[in-house]
Amino acid sequence: MAPAFPSGDDRADFGTGGHRQFSFHDIVLRNRLTALVVDGVDFCRLVEQGFLRSCGLETQGVNNGDAAVELIASGAKFDLIIIDMFLPVMDGLETTRRIRALGERCKIVGVSAYIGENDREAFLAAGGDVFSEKPVSPEVLIPILRELDGQYSNI
Amino acid sequence: MEVVQIQRTLMDYTKSLFMEGLLDSQFLQLQQLQDESNPDFVVEVVSLFFDDSEKLLNELTIALDQPSVDFKKVDSYVHQLKGSSSSIGAQRVKNACVAFRNFCQVQNIEGCLTCLQQVKQEYYLVKNKLETLFRLEQQIVTSGGSIPMIEMGF
Repeated sequence: MAPAFPSGDDRADFGTGGHRQFSFHDIVLRNRLTALVVDGVDFCRLVEQGFLRSCGLETQGVNNGDAAVELIASGAKFDLIIIDMFLPVMDGLETTRRIRALGERCKIVGVSAYIGENDREAFLAAGGDVFSEKPVSPEVLIPILRELDGQYSNI
Repeated sequence: MEVVQIQRTLMDYTKSLFMEGLLDSQFLQLQQLQDESNPDFVVEVVSLFFDDSEKLLNELTIALDQPSVDFKKVDSYVHQLKGSSSSIGAQRVKNACVAFRNFCQVQNIEGCLTCLQQVKQEYYLVKNKLETLFRLEQQIVTSGGSIPMIEMGF
């Protein structure tokens, strides 16, 4: 059941043995979705925003939890918020709690370099929706984006 | 040297980095984000990674050199390094951080010092390889060629 991927002229095959390689180019959104990326490390934020943009999202990025909370409190609307658990000053968990406390119902994805069961539970308890290892992969993100866009997943 | 030759060299070189486990699929994802509107994306991101990592490695060296080591601090630096190395696909650096963390958690100084050496080694190795990769890409571009897209097979 090999997926039909467009074959380019200049592509080399590495044959990684059955691992399905999702690409952020796999998705076509019908709606204009918006996302906020909260990550204290500049280039990580660039990467995360880059991926979202390549999927067709409009993105904003902030490097700390307080800025994220302020943005939401000021009325900015997002379909998706990606939060790194390891933030300077106010951590990702507290940021998630505060955003939920503002009444914000959007999808919140927490990312962390370490993903233990306790970390996941704490994040869900704080009001988060999906907990993922950093960096967030297409496998995790694309189904979420499809859901947000109101499409059915055909995987 | 003909552009086609350099392109082939680049493909082989890149492939070897994946085979040796130095880079993983995250790096491929980054390459896919590079296009005409963003022609230097990978180089920019990786350069920031280099700056960030070298700062962290310095901090780690200092922190482990203290008479009384603050393991919480060490752990937080390793945490950051793991997150950032995995964000660009530097797989062996990432894996070295996993081992490092384990020693932090049991507050084993010797273990931590060994791991720091290991992480530094892996970091400088991947830095060296990536700089070579970028040089090859630069050669192709200045010769008027385009950088071939690499993709993992199924």
